[in-house]
Amino acid sequence: MEANIKEVNLTINGVHVKAQKGTPILEVARQIGVEIPTLCYIKGLSPYGSCRICSVEITTASGRKRIVTSCNYPAEEGLVVETDSERVVKVRRNLLRLLLARCPKVTRLKNLASLYGLNEPDLWVENDSEDCILCGLCVRVCNELIRVSAINFANRGIKRTVTTPYDEFSEDCIGCGACAMICPTGSKKVRTNNYSVVRPLAAPQKDEKLGAYIDILSAKSSIEGQDGGVVTALLLSGLKNGMFNKAVVVKRKSGYRAEAVIASTPEEIMEARGTKYFRIKIVPKIKELISKGERKIAVVGTPCQVRAARKIQQILQQEHPDLDITIIGLFCFESFEYEKLKAETARIMGVNLDDAEKTQIKRGKFIVSINGHEYSCKVKELDHAISNGCPYCSDFPAFFADVSVGAVGSPDGYSTVILRTDKGKKLVENTCLEYGRVNVEEITKLSSFKKNRAKENFEPLIREIQAVRLKIRGAVGDDA
Amino acid sequence: MGMMPKEDVEAKIDMIIDKYAGKSGVLIQLLLEIQRELNWVPREAIKRINERLGIPESEIYRVVSFYTAMSLTPRGKYLVRVCTGTACYIRGAQRVLTAAEKAIGVKAGETTDDLKFTLQTVNCLGCCALGPVVEINGKYYGLLTPKTLENIISNLRGESS
Ligand code: SF4
Ligand code: SF4
Ligand code: FES
Ligand code: FES
Repeated sequence: MEANIKEVNLTINGVHVKAQKGTPILEVARQIGVEIPTLCYIKGLSPYGSCRICSVEITTASGRKRIVTSCNYPAEEGLVVETDSERVVKVRRNLLRLLLARCPKVTRLKNLASLYGLNEPDLWVENDSEDCILCGLCVRVCNELIRVSAINFANRGIKRTVTTPYDEFSEDCIGCGACAMICPTGSKKVRTNNYSVVRPLAAPQKDEKLGAYIDILSAKSSIEGQDGGVVTALLLSGLKNGMFNKAVVVKRKSGYRAEAVIASTPEEIMEARGTKYFRIKIVPKIKELISKGERKIAVVGTPCQVRAARKIQQILQQEHPDLDITIIGLFCFESFEYEKLKAETARIMGVNLDDAEKTQIKRGKFIVSINGHEYSCKVKELDHAISNGCPYCSDFPAFFADVSVGAVGSPDGYSTVILRTDKGKKLVENTCLEYGRVNVEEITKLSSFKKNRAKENFEPLIREIQAVRLKIRGAVGDDA
Repeated sequence: MGMMPKEDVEAKIDMIIDKYAGKSGVLIQLLLEIQRELNWVPREAIKRINERLGIPESEIYRVVSFYTAMSLTPRGKYLVRVCTGTACYIRGAQRVLTAAEKAIGVKAGETTDDLKFTLQTVNCLGCCALGPVVEINGKYYGLLTPKTLENIISNLRGESS
């Protein structure tokens, strides 16, 4: 044992235990099978100490007796802990009275309260549809695990709530669902502006891995580009045919840094050619166009951007029924963060990303072209440059696009094109393309791979959440 | 202060961010300075801080919405805070507030269109013996009547900005 990990002795409900100094008492208790109820604590996330349901009574080595929250109170030498003393039960009971008065309809709270002899709220109920106890688990999971920080607390006092900035749909949200999953009350709040399900597409074919689709093709255009120029060709033809008047595309700014821009002419579309593996906010541009009176808009983006665009379309159509957004999705396994990618490519290949004429991903390789030279490394080596959130995303083929495009499944020089909606079909039909053979299995394979990766990454969290819920259910039967 | 052109606001925000770039734990100070310079924290500022310092927008929004010293909507040149704490209330704060609403022309919590006045209520300014009390841009006015308050407001309105 290392010298700096100190072992301490403590007593929990009369049982003597050894533990590492600093471990939360709650975890030590669990190790010896003593269960303490929790609402705002899930192992793996930083403790927050807000619900106080995990209160226990301690007597310190110096003889001081008091109530502390066990989820964030560190084990120390000589501590005597009572997890169910009369005083503890009284504290928990009072906390539950307050919680029940705040959220009288939440099943999981009612179940927990009934364990303490409370069946009905006996205090003044302000708003019986309130379902959030401000435990902050959603905020922490989004911030610490998914690491996109789409939601946080806002306001203070009685107006305190969890939400997105300005209570608006957040493009930082990748729609992973972790916040909804972790919420101890099943609150609708966190879903209002983030995860709230995007209405699914209606299409003749539905497949878990490919999404809803009408047809899958392989195609190429006469325009040069990594994706066989298909995306550029679609944008040009849509613009010409008046399917849309403006397109929101991602374009290289200074160096390799990229930004979302509005393109309204063929020249501007050509300027934005080439794939950039970054997640860039596009919703502000869509809103800018709408505020200028534009109604027929095209957007190109990664699956998470596609989901944001689809969601924003469904929200804004209530206000502007004539709003017509054509969404072109790009296959995406993961995206990179500019700063990190620049540092990693410099470290591994010794290149300055800002000098790159072109970058592409092919057969598991990340290829950078500079002055006619190609430099490459395995995509796997760039793990540190992956955008936060991507390891938890399970959408490879842009499920919510009108048409999805990507290299996977097609021979060199061609792109795979998934037609998902009538709009997408019309756009492709009106574009001059040359067709090839598509290998659907390749797409399915990568899509499952991404889904499984997300599932595996979520597993430890799900295990912890279930462990906590089972405990309450074990006693009284649960809603879930 | 009035309305600044958009470009000036953006330049100003960038200049303030420059001062804090590279330091950590400065978000609150930075936001307070933006508030002081612009009289509110515009959306653009939240966006720019996020882009330049990498602090999530949700975190910046949390801070701005938490502190009463910061505001998510434009504040007027004069922030008129009428104390409606218990002592002032008993001494007639409600009448002072009604008079303030009438003199300024907006309800508590609102700002005039010309960005001259923002009216707020506050719970106890800590000088109850002087109640009813009103604080305007850090200056305290005590033992107010609706009439004296009206005079103060019309004096401020008359001032050239
Ligand atoms: S769905 Fe995922 S990314 Fe979106 S707010 Fe919830 S936890 Fe964050
Ligand atoms: S929404 Fe749920 S997880 Fe988030 S703070 Fe409220 S109760 Fe906790
Ligand atoms: S305070 Fe410990 S679980 Fe909430
Ligand atoms: S109640 Fe108004 S100053 Fe205290």
